[in-house]
Amino acid sequence: MTRVTRQHVDPEVSNAKLQRELAEYLSLEADFRKRGWFLIEAKGPLVSVLLASNKTNPPTLVTAVRFDYTNYDADPPSVRFVDPFSGRPLSDKDLPIRLLRAVPGPEVDVPGPGGIKAQLNTTQDLMQAHSPDELPFLCIAGVKEYHDHPGHSGDSWELHRQAGEGRLVRLLEVISKYSLDTVKGFNVNLTPQVTLATGEPPL
Amino acid sequence: MAKPKEISVNEVLTTVVVNGQPTVVSTPKDVPLGAIIPIALQQTGNSGQPPENWELRDADGGRLDLSKLIGDYNFPEDYRFFLNLKAGVGG
Repeated sequence: MTRVTRQHVDPEVSNAKLQRELAEYLSLEADFRKRGWFLIEAKGPLVSVLLASNKTNPPTLVTAVRFDYTNYDADPPSVRFVDPFSGRPLSDKDLPIRLLRAVPGPEVDVPGPGGIKAQLNTTQDLMQAHSPDELPFLCIAGVKEYHDHPGHSGDSWELHRQAGEGRLVRLLEVISKYSLDTVKGFNVNLTPQVTLATGEPPL
Repeated sequence: MAKPKEISVNEVLTTVVVNGQPTVVSTPKDVPLGAIIPIALQQTGNSGQPPENWELRDADGGRLDLSKLIGDYNFPEDYRFFLNLKAGVGG
């Protein structure tokens, strides 16, 4: 089912707020391009940004993100990862990269003398979905899908709006930090097969 | 036209981009880099979250040592810092 967002804020107000952010973005575009952010579309309330890595050789187009600033900033923006070529929203299983965050875990005693303790870190995936075929959402405050989720009804957008948590650059910083900035190169998985090498079959 | 503000030799002007919004912060050279965070937040009206919930990065996205003195970094004049709100606990 496709959910349609209805415009309930004066479109001129939403548009003026978005245009102000876009102007700020464009004034720093050269800095952002060096980091691999390419703003490719700003049409109406929709803003699309490609994320590319130059840590690989050749450089890699890692993913694309589409922001929907409908009703901004009475509502936070919707954030979806999309196929860079078709613009199609990516299902959870099709995400090219996960947004993994290290979360400090409990301290445990290391056996042996000295009473040494070690901290166990766990990993939290900031992209959440209920099944691999669903559209995942970025599970942080400042994102429409986060605040719309019934599990976050106690963390209203109004608590975050004044801190600018839905701003374009802020959301890109978070996405970049946990995805693009973690790319260090290519992983190559080879599966060699060993069989007996034989000559031409005899007559 | 307004006369440009004169700064002392012990003062340094740094451009901080707060959630995408640039502001120029003036501080002495002999204070830790972290001192520019509350000033940049105040100048841009970002009072909703305490300074410890923000992180300062360089133009390449790298983290900076906030305890090091600003003057010791020898940043060029046109250098820009990027100050952004950390992701809260998600999930």
